[in-house]
Amino acid sequence: MESFSFLIDGFATALSPQNLLFALVGCLLGTILGLLPGIGSTAGMAILIPLTLSMDPAGAIIMLAAIFYGGAYGGTITSVLLNIPGEGESAITCLDGYQMTLRGRAGVALTTAGVGSFLGGTVATIALVFAAQPLSELGLQIGPPEFFSLILIGLALLVGLVGRSVLMGLISACLGLLIAMVGIDPVMGEPRFTFGLPHFFDGVSYVPVLVGLFGLGELLATTGGSAPRPAAPRLRDMLPSRVDARRSAPAVARGTAIGGVIGLIPGVSSAISSLLAYSTERKLSRHRSELGTGAVEGVAAPETANNSHSNASFIPLFTLGIPASPAIAVLMGAFLQNGLTPGPTLFTEEPDLVWAVIASLFIGNLLLLILNVPLVGLWTRILAIPYSVLRAVIFAFVIIGSFAVANSVADIYVMIFFGILGFVFRQVGIPLAPLVLTLILGPFLEGALRESLQISQGSFAIFIDRPLSLAFLILAGVILLGSVLSSSFKRKAGLPADAEV
Amino acid sequence: MATMRRSIAAVIAGTLLTAATACAQTGGGGNGGAADGNYPNKPIELIVGFNAGGSTDTGARLMAKALEKKLDATITVVNKPAANSQVAYTYLSRAKPDGYTMAAVTFPSAIITVLDESRGANYERDSFVPAALQVVDPTAVAVSPDSDYEKPKDLVNAAKKNPGTIQATTTGVASNEHFALAQLEEETGAKISPVHFADGATDATAAFLGGNADVLLGNVSDMQQLVDSGKAKVIGVMESERSPFLPEVPTFTESGYDVEMSSSRGYAFPAGTPDEVVDKVSTAMGQIIKEPEFQQKMKDAGLAPKYMNADEYASYWDETSAQFESLLPLVKEEK
Repeated sequence: MESFSFLIDGFATALSPQNLLFALVGCLLGTILGLLPGIGSTAGMAILIPLTLSMDPAGAIIMLAAIFYGGAYGGTITSVLLNIPGEGESAITCLDGYQMTLRGRAGVALTTAGVGSFLGGTVATIALVFAAQPLSELGLQIGPPEFFSLILIGLALLVGLVGRSVLMGLISACLGLLIAMVGIDPVMGEPRFTFGLPHFFDGVSYVPVLVGLFGLGELLATTGGSAPRPAAPRLRDMLPSRVDARRSAPAVARGTAIGGVIGLIPGVSSAISSLLAYSTERKLSRHRSELGTGAVEGVAAPETANNSHSNASFIPLFTLGIPASPAIAVLMGAFLQNGLTPGPTLFTEEPDLVWAVIASLFIGNLLLLILNVPLVGLWTRILAIPYSVLRAVIFAFVIIGSFAVANSVADIYVMIFFGILGFVFRQVGIPLAPLVLTLILGPFLEGALRESLQISQGSFAIFIDRPLSLAFLILAGVILLGSVLSSSFKRKAGLPADAEV
Repeated sequence: MATMRRSIAAVIAGTLLTAATACAQTGGGGNGGAADGNYPNKPIELIVGFNAGGSTDTGARLMAKALEKKLDATITVVNKPAANSQVAYTYLSRAKPDGYTMAAVTFPSAIITVLDESRGANYERDSFVPAALQVVDPTAVAVSPDSDYEKPKDLVNAAKKNPGTIQATTTGVASNEHFALAQLEEETGAKISPVHFADGATDATAAFLGGNADVLLGNVSDMQQLVDSGKAKVIGVMESERSPFLPEVPTFTESGYDVEMSSSRGYAFPAGTPDEVVDKVSTAMGQIIKEPEFQQKMKDAGLAPKYMNADEYASYWDETSAQFESLLPLVKEEK
């Protein structure tokens, strides 16, 4: 239990008034930055790093780390209240989160997300304390072929997302894949479907797409007066009921596990964790038929997963010195600029600092909870703003957010295009969830496939020869077969099919 | 308590700055003639074609901060991350050449976007006036610590014996790593197969550590921590001089192979910018880069400082461009 005593020392450092304040400021800043789509915690951290150089290293890193996980929570607030995904990782939360808001249950959704994030983050951090080394080895076992098969599981789960009409679901999914194909071919190096515009050489960035589909699409739909408007919840509706808690518990547990494992794989975005967690709920939850209509599981699972992912992604940073995500890369930059090289040597050379940062992860998660649960009341007051005013604010918000992604006007046009598309989707009943899934998974799927084939010199056998990859493939096959069989059973028995997203 | 109060002030200032930077738009335009000797008299925009927090951005922000003091000017760093900086270069080539817009220039991106016709770049080498070079980061070759390869020769001989069976990571098609493999093949006849990780060095490193590729190619500054932690063994650096990051590692040149490859970062103005402006900025950057304190800051951030003035940088640009042009057919055919 050597690490335990180190951890106690770490807590002593992290709990000093100054470091506690830095953690608090970081959480607040992160939450605020996360509110605006396009400006994520990553950019915020990058811009603040020069200022932290005058602080002591522990305080600087504690604050930047707090911005990092605070940002994820800020994205949740806009997803739930306004149907604007602040970040890719909270896009899927819009589906059930906003439906809950429409039913006056915004407070419950935000509180559940807060508690779920806290639990997921804490469990992942405990794993970091006690099993960092073996877990990071596990993460490295997921090479390109294994990752490809893992994403296929994600696509197999898609069947659970398509809703009542398989045709409509597939239209949505294929469109997502098509958008994911835009950009420079990763192996041939030639631009594809870019209309010759360099702006699209790296692909269509998904924040403007998602902000358009969800945020602007919703705005256009409600302008017609046909769609329901969100209502500010009453005070006694703020806290989850016992039923909510009981229903959330398994979703939180599954979300923690999924986010914790995916977070170990270097280079994987936390959006994948939240998508897989949500899709898994559609498959496994006892209330799966209610998902998409404002079920609390639909908020609990992805929000837990993305926070668990964020905290788990510290494991490859501390043990291997590899930044698992862009945000972690920025954090790694902060380590470097303070003269610290992340990696296993850090534990022996700077144990005080490492354990202080790890302790601050626990404290930060707790702070985020203490900070945000009471603030839920404040955030939901946003809904009390007259809708005519709020609508104008949202409109400004989605435009600024889209611009901020790459300081580019082109992204505003992208957002408007997908806003109109989102409006059309709503009118003709095409679900959004499959598109979100394929849009985010698509580039990873293609990258992993082509890297694998380069490794195997063109042989597809690589996916079967690797035991872990084979296991994933079989699992994907079972899920796919299971959904096909169960849906044909349902049809025969005349049971109502899944509700539509 | 005083430090704490200062830190809090810094944090608050940071918040405002974040908001300001986030909303910062293309100011510029207007008057403020540069050639009248009182340059700079309004904010200078520094375009970075990569994301905030990347190594190009890190170097540019360090430079911007130091340059602000030196020139007594306000410098706004604006990130326009897309298409390997092509969007940023396009923007720069169209900007008013008055000295108030400059951009971070990286090789190979500034060269390859011009050479590769399929990208349809609407600028060329002559659209830019180089100001100064800040960083040169040579490409290094790493293998697993228990590998038999100890020096460049071992790898080259093994690759000659079994052409195409050894696999090396790159950070994408036409990246400096990809060009390095082409150059190695041209120089020695050793054929090594590339595995392209278009998402960058993280994925490449993870795949290498997981045993999915034999050789890790990457910037020498990124290799240091892998070496320190015993996860990789660097067998050679593709430069004529040894790297300050890994002074014990031999270069390819000293092993008898004329292979030099690196990524580099500097700054340029649009063509037509007055010479005295370029000179002023170039000289200021030179003074900054030579300060030991600044060099230490750069090294801490994993950046290898190397200054070239405007003329040296211009000829370096032309030479590198010619080198890449001659290798392009090999890179294109290999895929």
